[in-house]
Amino acid sequence: MVEELLFFMEVLVGGLLAGTMYSLVALGFVLIFKASATFNFSQGAMVFFSVLAFVGFMQDFNIPFVLAFILAALLMVVVGLCTERFVLRPLMNASEDTVLMATIGLGYVLEGLAQAAWGVEVRRLDLGIGDFPVPWIADNLKLFISALDITAGVVAAIMIIGLFLLFKYTKIGLGLRAVADDAGAASSIGIPLKHIMLLVWSAAGVVALVAGCMWGARAGVQFALVDLALKALPVLIIGGFSSIPGAIIGGLIIGAVEKVLEVYIGPFFGGAIEGWAPYVLAIFFLLYRPEGLFGEKIIRRV
Amino acid sequence: MSTSTNILDIKNIEVTYDNVILALHDVSLKVPKGKVVALLGANGAGKSTTLKAVSTMLASERGKVTKGTIEYDGNSIDKQNPSQMVGLGMVQVLEGRRCFGHLTVEENIIAGAYSRKLSKGDINQELEKIYTYFIRLKERRKSQAAFTSGGEQQMIAVARAMMAKPKMLLLDEPTMGLAPQLVAEIFNIVKELNQKEGVSILLAEQNTNVALKNSDYGYIIETGRVMLDGTAQSLLSNDQVKELYLGISKKGRKNFRDVLKEESLTKKRIN
Repeated sequence: MVEELLFFMEVLVGGLLAGTMYSLVALGFVLIFKASATFNFSQGAMVFFSVLAFVGFMQDFNIPFVLAFILAALLMVVVGLCTERFVLRPLMNASEDTVLMATIGLGYVLEGLAQAAWGVEVRRLDLGIGDFPVPWIADNLKLFISALDITAGVVAAIMIIGLFLLFKYTKIGLGLRAVADDAGAASSIGIPLKHIMLLVWSAAGVVALVAGCMWGARAGVQFALVDLALKALPVLIIGGFSSIPGAIIGGLIIGAVEKVLEVYIGPFFGGAIEGWAPYVLAIFFLLYRPEGLFGEKIIRRV
Repeated sequence: MSTSTNILDIKNIEVTYDNVILALHDVSLKVPKGKVVALLGANGAGKSTTLKAVSTMLASERGKVTKGTIEYDGNSIDKQNPSQMVGLGMVQVLEGRRCFGHLTVEENIIAGAYSRKLSKGDINQELEKIYTYFIRLKERRKSQAAFTSGGEQQMIAVARAMMAKPKMLLLDEPTMGLAPQLVAEIFNIVKELNQKEGVSILLAEQNTNVALKNSDYGYIIETGRVMLDGTAQSLLSNDQVKELYLGISKKGRKNFRDVLKEESLTKKRIN
């Protein structure tokens, strides 16, 4: 009995921690959704692009770890800058759907650029943190939990708190929330949309880099990272597209649910249900709570 | 009037949307420093377009000033964008209030100071000053703006604009959809801001009577042209204005069609 309970705990905790990795990817989406009111289809490509550049700097140019990370982060700011200048600004008055389509195109450009610059083979990313159970926890709590999962959890927590403080208490954060509510009114009182867009896309780029590091360390830096973005979709539907806490909780729910279902219900379906179980959950949310758990309610005066 | 006494001087502007839709044909108007000028007309007459041409918000709606000039404070606004205009002290309060619904009332107002470099202490000081004009908002400072009433939202929009420390305010239909009592309250605040803070005001209104009673000068525009202008007093006593916009007439009520019919009859007679 105790062993079964321990096993369940292990599955649950493993799922929750894996969920923080989804949260990290979802965070990037939320940032851009807040400012541009659009789902950024290029977020997956940004993850791939940023982490491949990071690994490329280290392996091809022998740049030390920290410096390479800073360079990759700066590169993402440049990507944000170019996106604002060449994609968003010309489409400033276009409908949200047009911007959505543009992000799909941007995704292809980034994928292509990344592969042109760094090649197509899978690269190994060594963060110095092993993807194996932490001995101390295994000895004392009898739970086998990966060090990488724990790191991802801690990193995600730090990023959330940082972004929350940024939005809630800084001037630029207030500007961002104002733009998210009504871009026209924001510009009428002198909030420069350009700066806000630049900030948001750069921040999303850096978040993509961090998410890419976590996923790259686990699964190798490869093209499949692009499809990770799709896993963020159910996370966002559950958590709410415009909510940072929602991205976190959504990620945790997806991570936990898919692991628990896989282990306990999976055998009845012949396994491999973690691929689609999150989407089923997402459909239920769309039916009964379309704004997600923490999404901004659609407020309408009557 | 020499240019130095006019804070805003619009000369013969023509505005088109999408390069084809002609919204303004020929509009000229002046706003003297420290005065309240009303821009009157029905829906689609070009009031909002005129205001947006001044605040340069037109560009974001694919509109363009294709002829004529607009001078603000003695300088052409040709090359400016909306946030630069705010920096120069010209702030527009858009039609339909447009509050930031998910922000609190206070956050909405503070957002108005975005273009100014103020410390936390300065902001609080400015806030307190603003609240002396909008007492009602102080009570509701922590409420989410979307849940406040229409009148309160209009006050938020004006208060937010005042936080930018404007020299000139452009108010687009500030009383739209408000109860008469609130209309009076909004206009009292506008008047007070004009007198105590010295803000020049150009306001677009459909509510001709109230607007003229609270203005110094008025322009009436129809289908993108200025049809009539004069001091508020003279417009209020003008027979045509009375008939067309105030619904008062010597011979009972008249509608617009009757007037047109009369006009065409007169024309025929002349021909």
